[in-house]
Amino acid sequence: MSHDGHHSVVIPAPGPGFQPHTVAHHFDTPVQEFQSAKLGFWLFLATEILLFGGLFAAYFYFHAMYPETFQAGGRTLDWKMGTLNTCVLLLSSWTMAMGVRSAQTSQKGKLLMYLTFTVLGALIFMVIKFFEYKAKHEYGLLPVVGGTEYITETGQLEWFKDHLGKMLRPDGTPYEHATLYFSLYFTMTAIHGLHVIIGAALIVWIMKGAAKGRFHAGYYLPVDLVGLYWHLVDLIWIFLFPLLYLVP
Amino acid sequence: MSSHHDNHSHGHDHGHGELQMGHHHVSSPQMFVNVLLALLVLTVVTVGASRFDFGSANMLIAMLIASVKASLVVAFFMHVKWDTAINKIVFLGSFLFLSLLFIFTLADQATRKYDDQSLLLKTPVDKQWVHPKTLAGKQ
Repeated sequence: MSHDGHHSVVIPAPGPGFQPHTVAHHFDTPVQEFQSAKLGFWLFLATEILLFGGLFAAYFYFHAMYPETFQAGGRTLDWKMGTLNTCVLLLSSWTMAMGVRSAQTSQKGKLLMYLTFTVLGALIFMVIKFFEYKAKHEYGLLPVVGGTEYITETGQLEWFKDHLGKMLRPDGTPYEHATLYFSLYFTMTAIHGLHVIIGAALIVWIMKGAAKGRFHAGYYLPVDLVGLYWHLVDLIWIFLFPLLYLVP
Repeated sequence: MSSHHDNHSHGHDHGHGELQMGHHHVSSPQMFVNVLLALLVLTVVTVGASRFDFGSANMLIAMLIASVKASLVVAFFMHVKWDTAINKIVFLGSFLFLSLLFIFTLADQATRKYDDQSLLLKTPVDKQWVHPKTLAGKQ
């Protein structure tokens, strides 16, 4: 009994190896707890959509202004790496969905297995992304600290070096405002990559609870919410991939 | 099988639904596999479509394929298809507000004219805007 005289509702464990869940005492029922948390999380995901939405709006605006520059920028990326990473994220989204299903059906071993594969997907994605950023660094296209002075002759930011002349037309003239494409590429993929890292960390945290048997058919709310977050990461990448690698 | 609408029952009978988070839709593994395969096929379609030049429709086609993929993820992987009305409104509503941002931003973009050399904003030549005060001074 809690201090204000209300009984805390306890969801029993479905069997040995699982733990019962005590509903937070400010909720009357498990259903209320579940739906409140879900609504709150969907609201958070809506703000995520708007965060990335602002970047997508910037992309569409500048792409419409300098389509040739963006297409040339897209050609500096390796579309095979992008396709591979797309498949990795789609597969990890599938393992996450199967993980949530395993929690819903109280299959502890399967839940841990699917979550492990999901984290593995996140790691593979980040390793591939690391090699892509490394290649960009070698071309001198990676933004560096300092040097934000605007060079009016070329219309480029100072960080934009293009050592290997990747952003030049066949006749040797530079594509105008190439920095726009790379600013958007690095900002969008870095924020997305941050989400991948946070998502992977959250899944590891879920795995700790899963190993202790906290999640089962009666209570799997944290698995469900982290799953939604992971699918959002996939959702954003579905749009980033064609826009950055296969610039239309 | 009980429907997920049972979630909304708030009776005090401490029935089965009371001691769980409620009845939720548990999707079949086969359905998840089908969705995954559809997403992978659509990824191939995305890459394939980028090899053809449809002119100004390139962007539209790429975004259309991406939207189909996104809808599959949202509806099935994120379970929105079986979620409550309020959660659907909250999440799908965010895309409605996002479309406002896109519509007004792109409407601005489509109706502006730029001088490529100086990047100074120019009004369309036949609609040169003059401040009313300047106009009054000239008269």
